[in-house]
Amino acid sequence: MANNLLAELAAHLQSRHLQPTPAWLQSFTAGIRPTTPLPALKQTALFRLLATDITTSLVAPPTTLFPGDILNARIQSRHLAGPVVCQVIDVEDIGHSRWSQVETIEAKERGETTKGREVVRVIPDADAQPDVQPDVDSKGPFKLLLQDAKGAKVYAFDLKGIAGINMGMSLGIKVLLRNCEVRRGVVMLEPGGVQILGGKIEALDKIWKEGRKERLISAANAGRENAAG
Amino acid sequence: MARILCVAEKPSIAKAVANHLGGQVRADNVRGVQWVKNYKFDYNFQQWGQSSVTFTCVAGHVKSSDFTDRYRKWQSCQPVELFEAPIQTFVADGKKAIASNIEAQARLASILFIWTDCDREGEHIGTEIRDIALKANPNMQVCRARFSNIERAHIIDAARNPIPLDEAQANAVAARIELDLRLGAAFTRMQTLALQAMIPQQGEEQRKLISYGSCQFPTLGFVVDRYLRVRNFVPEPFWYIKVVHEKDGINVRFSWARGHLFDRLAVTIIFEQCLIAKTAKVTKMTKKPTKKWKPLPLTTVELQKMGSRFLRMTSQEVMTTAEALYTKGWISYPRTETDQFDKGMDLRRLVEKQQQDNRWGNFAQGLMNGGFNQPRNGRNNDKAHPPIHPVNYVAPTQLGDNEKKVYEFVVRRFLACCSEDAVGEATDVDIEYGGEGFRTHGLIVLARNYLDVYPYDRWESSQALPQYTVGETWEPKEATMLDGQTSAPSYLTEPELISLMDVNGIGTDATMADHIAKIKDREYVIARAKGGGAANGGHGAAQRGGGRGRGRGRGGRGGRGGAAAQNGGGGGGGAAGGVQEFIPTTLGIALIEGYDNVGFETSLSKPFLRKEVRRCGRCAAAICADYGQMEVQMKAICEGRSTRNDVVQQNLEQYRAVFTRTNQQIHVLKAAVRKYVVGEEANHG
Repeated sequence: MANNLLAELAAHLQSRHLQPTPAWLQSFTAGIRPTTPLPALKQTALFRLLATDITTSLVAPPTTLFPGDILNARIQSRHLAGPVVCQVIDVEDIGHSRWSQVETIEAKERGETTKGREVVRVIPDADAQPDVQPDVDSKGPFKLLLQDAKGAKVYAFDLKGIAGINMGMSLGIKVLLRNCEVRRGVVMLEPGGVQILGGKIEALDKIWKEGRKERLISAANAGRENAAG
Repeated sequence: MARILCVAEKPSIAKAVANHLGGQVRADNVRGVQWVKNYKFDYNFQQWGQSSVTFTCVAGHVKSSDFTDRYRKWQSCQPVELFEAPIQTFVADGKKAIASNIEAQARLASILFIWTDCDREGEHIGTEIRDIALKANPNMQVCRARFSNIERAHIIDAARNPIPLDEAQANAVAARIELDLRLGAAFTRMQTLALQAMIPQQGEEQRKLISYGSCQFPTLGFVVDRYLRVRNFVPEPFWYIKVVHEKDGINVRFSWARGHLFDRLAVTIIFEQCLIAKTAKVTKMTKKPTKKWKPLPLTTVELQKMGSRFLRMTSQEVMTTAEALYTKGWISYPRTETDQFDKGMDLRRLVEKQQQDNRWGNFAQGLMNGGFNQPRNGRNNDKAHPPIHPVNYVAPTQLGDNEKKVYEFVVRRFLACCSEDAVGEATDVDIEYGGEGFRTHGLIVLARNYLDVYPYDRWESSQALPQYTVGETWEPKEATMLDGQTSAPSYLTEPELISLMDVNGIGTDATMADHIAKIKDREYVIARAKGGGAANGGHGAAQRGGGRGRGRGRGGRGGRGGAAAQNGGGGGGGAAGGVQEFIPTTLGIALIEGYDNVGFETSLSKPFLRKEVRRCGRCAAAICADYGQMEVQMKAICEGRSTRNDVVQQNLEQYRAVFTRTNQQIHVLKAAVRKYVVGEEANHG
């Protein structure tokens, strides 16, 4: 029965291209109540697995990993067939200056988010269009740092706009890549090639969100030094 | 024959109206005040018949309010007592002769006909006049005239249709007067007593009064906010792609749909893709008629903004000048929120009068010969005054320099309103190149229409674009990856400040200019011509990051300044020319930062925060500093939704919480003054 259950769960997760380690499956099944119906268990398993760090919770057959030479910047373009399971461990809005993002965060800290105020503040002249302020609603584009189950990290750009990818998403969210182009060691995300599986890594997400403003400030200052130099 | 006493708000109006009604009128002197006259004439009023009229005036408010003696001296009580100390209202010093003239005339008359300006303040002055007159002659019948300009027909019409005084509006003003007095005195005394000794003095100069006003502080807050934004700004590099294509001998520049990105790697990869793609493809080509809308009818706020932008005058100068033009009968009442003309108004007649001018006369003639169009309607109507417009023609030789400029602007704006939108043809070409979008935009102005009379708007044809067809592919002549750098916003300019005050309800359109002047007087801010050379040079050493404006950062003005202007140091360029921008003094920054640091909910400088805070219910005290809310409450009194007493009590209660908290944490305020004014911490220059 237990074996049967394990197989059922494994099959369910496998259908999402997630292959948990036996240890993870064991510990999961150890904690469940036998009366829970199978469909609910399947869902719980998926939910819990998506909340883990895949570098420890997934068995990773080579086909589900980034190729070893993915970072080779001399390759102008290559095809990544996948499916590769990875987690997002960083995201940046590259459509807005870091400083303007800092200003937005600070305005929010002061409780100053009313739209009217924002529009007003930037009116240089009654006829000009107000500048677009960066926001959670920012359309990016976004630069992501992806990590596969073996811990390999690679940058990715979302230039086209993909539902679920934005500055408000949870860090550690799992995505599935298929048929992507990799240019100069960077994955180009396209709406058709990215499946958002969901989930997050609670600890990472918390630290990332708490430290975002400080990171932006130091990145902006670093940029200034470069610009001045 | 009925005896009627008419009282205007100022001498010029009394004189003008009396002359319109009486023709040749006799002017009697008034004892004790040279510039007030009693004009005597007979007039046949529709409702009172042939009457004997005395037309006199006051000079603004006749009465004044202050605390009773025991509380008037600074050391006589704790500032907090001023929240409830008794207030007495009395005929102001210097207005006694005016008041006794009204009393004397009232005894001789049976009807009091009030001709104060038709706004809240005028309504309140009207009740002052009424109270004085009724005290002398309790049996008088009282009414007021409704008018918005000093043009003859309009005045005669107003004389024919008297209306009752609006008690509600007067009450709103009374509430404002009481709150201004109590709050202003309490906070000014508290902060002056606490901070005065810390401010360095120069020579024998009198000890500085550190005044507080519930509109002054938010106004100052806007200036400080922007200053800190400019100060803290960090420039950052960005990258973008530019594409040029040559067709029919024309170099067409296409700009990147993304504008620019802040990641070099991303732009490099995209750029490489463009180069690999080699050819671009036209994905869209549209030509469509476009318009530049003629301006809306002129309101006070708009007049002030445009004035400080285009006429090289401060908003206060603009208002004083407009006031003078109104008093002389050249333009309509310049304090109005209305941006729609009443359908029944005969605008053509007003256009007609402008035909004789040699600058815009031809244009006016064109309007009379069929070019006339009804002005657009804005969304505001204060139901009291029409938009500002010329009521009569006056030759420039009869006007002073400032008057000439303001009159010209009012006339041109009015004629523009009665003209037609400018018409053009817009061309948009979109291309796809390496998976990325680029576009170019062209404009051909076909008919300038209103622009011919209104040089304050710009709308000009761009370079002509060649003909493109959708689907056509070609190799760009040039594709370049470029870089640039963001540049700091500019210091707050006067038009921007007025917009901020307007939207956040700081003051009324009538008082904004005064609040701005006040924070200059108090040396909380200095004003200088925008992009003032002196400051750029002077603070050159303080600039950290070098180059700017290389890219297409918005604003495009000079660099970040160094330290705040030293308090009291040398002032600014005044109205040296061009738009003014404001920089806080060290004291100005210290006050705002001090109150901010005392606590979120005591921030007296950020009315715009309060609305938000109130919504999330974070703390009840928070709305106290919301002067914008105060303006809303005044309106509520006017519309009968609230009472004077409720508004006063509610505000006092809320401000008292702020007061208490500030008093408890006065050391925080002192620390800010030490930091910025005394300079104990290194100046950030």
